Amino acid sequence: MEIVSRISRGSKMDQIYIPKNRHGFNIGSYVIIKPLEENVIAEKPYFYNVNHIEPIKLETINEIIKVIDKNCNYDNVIFTGSFVDNGFKFNDIDILLISQNKLDVEHVKDAIENKTGIKIHIIQLTNQDLMKGLSTDPLYQMMLSKCISKKRFIYNVKNEINYKVLDLHLLKSKAMNDNFGILNGSEKYYLTRNLISLFLYADGKKVSKETVDAEIKKIFNISVEKIKDNMVGNSFLRKYKEIYNKAFSKIVKSVKNDPKQE
Amino acid sequence: MTQNRNRLINLMVGNISNSIVHKILEMAINNEEISNRYNKELTTSLEIAKSYRERINPVNPPFPSKDIMYLKKRIRNKVRAELRMRISRGYKNINLDLIEEMIKNYLKDMKIIN
Repeated sequence: MEIVSRISRGSKMDQIYIPKNRHGFNIGSYVIIKPLEENVIAEKPYFYNVNHIEPIKLETINEIIKVIDKNCNYDNVIFTGSFVDNGFKFNDIDILLISQNKLDVEHVKDAIENKTGIKIHIIQLTNQDLMKGLSTDPLYQMMLSKCISKKRFIYNVKNEINYKVLDLHLLKSKAMNDNFGILNGSEKYYLTRNLISLFLYADGKKVSKETVDAEIKKIFNISVEKIKDNMVGNSFLRKYKEIYNKAFSKIVKSVKNDPKQE
Repeated sequence: MTQNRNRLINLMVGNISNSIVHKILEMAINNEEISNRYNKELTTSLEIAKSYRERINPVNPPFPSKDIMYLKKRIRNKVRAELRMRISRGYKNINLDLIEEMIKNYLKDMKIIN
């Protein structure tokens, strides 16, 4: 038998009144008092360019949010990367934890991994870092072009060309030129995607996963799946080098006019 | 060199060169935020290079002198080409004199030379 009752304030001790007319709870018997849990209404996360998500993934997201809620104070949590794509071809879950305070990310990561059994990759950012990243870094734009967020976030930032940041990212894609024969399909796709996102960004275009994949198809005349399956030959590499050089020229165009270099 | 050893050496050379390029570019920057990003990238490349090094014989230094010459030459050429390309486009404060010393330090750090 269960009885729901309220705690009343007393002069020396507080008390809980229960009706005299009841079954069980005899005088002198010991009982446990515990708070009646309030029904927590599950907040629905916000979807950005995610048209469909498998129910089990949504459950996982809610579980992760609960773990993060328990372990730290934060402003927002954003899920991104291959986890929010259709299907289950993801290696880990990429999480952006937005907070103004320094958080023990490793502890949160371990807590989530213990709860879900899935590898987690957490990046902690402040709101300012996020906005700065979005305005200067095409990889941020691409990452957040498709994501699920606990709270609504609005970003409307202008592309800001910081050639040193872009050059830094472009250097990563240089690996294709040197190691074309060694790289596997996924690595080739990653480097191509990086290159094309920079190429578009340097042109002042907004970058998203969809626009980058469409541009890859247009430029190389080959589907993304074929690159991932490593079905690419020397003609692909020739085109890649051509685009790399064009992207480099576009990025370093503003170097000579940068007074901060002095 | 066997084919697999060649492949691992190429991957290691690519990552060492990338790390040195980032290190020299980082030294030419006076913006802490960007400098940190270059630092992160150079550390990542170095860690990857180390992981390849662990799979290349001989495990203990030194490598055969023929290999050392080859490695130094390839790293030097790659780093110089990358940095010269940037200098010609207007990058300033890039010090090419640092390359030799850095190659030596990296190869020591990776137990390739004594």
